[in-house]
Amino acid sequence: MEPNPYIPKLAKIIQIKEEVRGARPVKTFRTQFLSENGFSFRCGQCAMLSIFGRGESMISISSSPLVEDYLQFSILKMGRVTSSLHDLQEGDIIGVRGPYGNGFPIEKWKGKNLIFIGGGIGIAPMWSVLHTALGKKEDYGKISLIYGARTSNDIVFKEELEELRKKIEVHLSIDVEEPEWKEFVGFVPINVLEKKPSPENAIAVTCGPPIMIKYVIQNLEALGFKDEQIFTTVENKMKCGIGKCGRCNIGLHYVCQDGPVYSWAELKNLPQEY
Amino acid sequence: MQKILRKKSFPQWVKKLESYKIYAPAKNGDVWNYEAVNHSEDIDLDYLNSVLSPKKIIFPQREIFLEFSTSNDGNPEINEVLPEENPSVIFGVRPCDAKALTLTDSVFGGDFDDLYYWRRRDQAILVGLACHNPPSPNCFCLSVNGSPHSKEGLDILMTDLGDRYYVESLTEKGNKLLNLGNKFFEEPKAKDKKDLEKINLASEKKIKRRIKEIKKIPPQLKEMFDSPFWDEEAMSCIRCGICTYLCPTCHCFDISDEVLSSSPIEGKRVRTWDTCQFPDFTMHSSGHNPRPDKASRLRQRILHKFQYFVERYKNYQCTGCGRCISKCPVGIDIIEVLDKVRDYGT
Ligand SMILES: Cc1cc2nc3c(=O)[nH]c(=O)nc-3n(C[C@H](O)[C@H](O)[C@H](O)COP(=O)(O)OP(=O)(O)OC[C@H]3O[C@@H](n4cnc5c(N)ncnc54)[C@H](O)[C@@H]3O)c2cc1C
Ligand code: SF4
Ligand code: FES
Repeated sequence: MEPNPYIPKLAKIIQIKEEVRGARPVKTFRTQFLSENGFSFRCGQCAMLSIFGRGESMISISSSPLVEDYLQFSILKMGRVTSSLHDLQEGDIIGVRGPYGNGFPIEKWKGKNLIFIGGGIGIAPMWSVLHTALGKKEDYGKISLIYGARTSNDIVFKEELEELRKKIEVHLSIDVEEPEWKEFVGFVPINVLEKKPSPENAIAVTCGPPIMIKYVIQNLEALGFKDEQIFTTVENKMKCGIGKCGRCNIGLHYVCQDGPVYSWAELKNLPQEY
Repeated sequence: MQKILRKKSFPQWVKKLESYKIYAPAKNGDVWNYEAVNHSEDIDLDYLNSVLSPKKIIFPQREIFLEFSTSNDGNPEINEVLPEENPSVIFGVRPCDAKALTLTDSVFGGDFDDLYYWRRRDQAILVGLACHNPPSPNCFCLSVNGSPHSKEGLDILMTDLGDRYYVESLTEKGNKLLNLGNKFFEEPKAKDKKDLEKINLASEKKIKRRIKEIKKIPPQLKEMFDSPFWDEEAMSCIRCGICTYLCPTCHCFDISDEVLSSSPIEGKRVRTWDTCQFPDFTMHSSGHNPRPDKASRLRQRILHKFQYFVERYKNYQCTGCGRCISKCPVGIDIIEVLDKVRDYGT
């Protein structure tokens, strides 16, 4: 019989890492399916995570498809479901269904320079594509990352970012001054203007809060990036993940299926409702 | 397959269909709705338009997706709950409501089949009744590629010729039903065909409401996305959502968990109808809302039906049943809105 798209597969949480403490906590979860049933995905795709009795949330897969042992999710605590996820322990079982969405067209980016521009938890969907590109570094040109958070405490993947500096250019920023902070202070879009990535043979990928994305795109355009060179993700509210419940609809698209990844050239032509 | 059925033989035919679950319009107080019927004599095909379309039989207001519980080892256990195998016949389906199901078909099919929907849809046989009198003063099927005697989406179309029905089977499923009542049907004669034609023509004339020059509307809507028009039109809306809940083509839904016991955890995941007319529908946890006001939500309802759906599925997502017009508590009339859209700025 045909698979029922609404039935999650059970998965065990094999590792939980506290990325950010405080008022806007982030935890990274690694999961393994209880029975193996081939979950193959592209970077930029998402999965619907369930806690039975609480509900479901759409979360980007933050590990690379090159990693086969586990799926990784980095989750900001927001409301009902994400708070319950934060209460879980290693060994607990959750439901996972997916993968959903189109993913990043990274096969088409071979030979190009890649600039990742993220804010806050927006680094999660980029983490998968960034690591996939790094895994096949010879296929791409220069890779760099411009990433910002509200405070130094809110930076996700802090240790990994320090490791990453050994391989690629990493520019961090925080929104307001802190005594120990040596890098840029100010919003991510301003840091983009400051670091002036070159549009020459480049692709820029930006994920983060809607307002950040808006200004990053404006500033990339000011630097000479064409609409087709800019990619982002749209995170409209979602329930079904499979183009039926209507919730994520913008224009003729269901973001859960036709997105969440869009080039600015594509997104620009859709109603601005995200 | 075309046949004639005497009205007095209708209940006898229905009796032959006892292996099916039978639904038909039933009057409750002042209103009609599709209900399961046990006695063929109870079926009254002289009915006005039902409050809810028969969509609710295929895609019910509330249904269970799965049940969850805690197994002996303390881990969650889930049980898929699919609709039962239950072949059904729905009598008295209006042509506009049948066409509406062909539209929800495009949504519930595609890359991912919605098994809950298809389990009921595939098992249902739709027996339509042509509207020789429009069941509502707000019917406008003729404007949206429909007609009071349209066959689209039906397995059988019946037409009331006074003392008898003209019965046309349109699919294999339909043929099967006719064969079960074989002895009650007669071959149509020339006069029957003539009467049918007459009734069909007359029924079209009785439909008074129209969306004029509808082809101009989708491109015009695209231009009007940022227009102040929507603020003006939505001013009186009290965001009750009735327009979408009663719509035979609307398909938006919510999924939520209902907990019977929290320790050990036990409950079910249910699907319920939802509407784009509520602010929560699109509001993110952060409070950010891409459709923050009544204007953007009315715009969504109109554009989804007359622009986006047309772009995606090459069809209007409206079959002209008129329910949203008749039932809106503040009298927002989709035909009037579209008339203004067409003439906007000219
Ligand atoms: C494509 C996509 C990828 C995402 N990736 C991540 C990620 O990697 N990490 C992360 O921390 N967050 C991510 N989010 C956001 C995350 O889905 C929401 O923060 C989360 O669903 C909020 O649920 P809640 O129950 O905690 O909050 P509540 O406010 O209690 O939400 C109730 C319900 O509303 C829905 N909902 C509310 N807000 C959103 C929203 N913004 N997006 C989708 N559904 C919503 C959910 O179904 C949720 O169960 C992503 C969202 C989308 C659409
Ligand atoms: S039925 Fe009328 S008042 Fe209610 S949401 Fe629809 S347009 Fe608004
Ligand atoms: S989440 Fe249901 S249609 Fe996209």
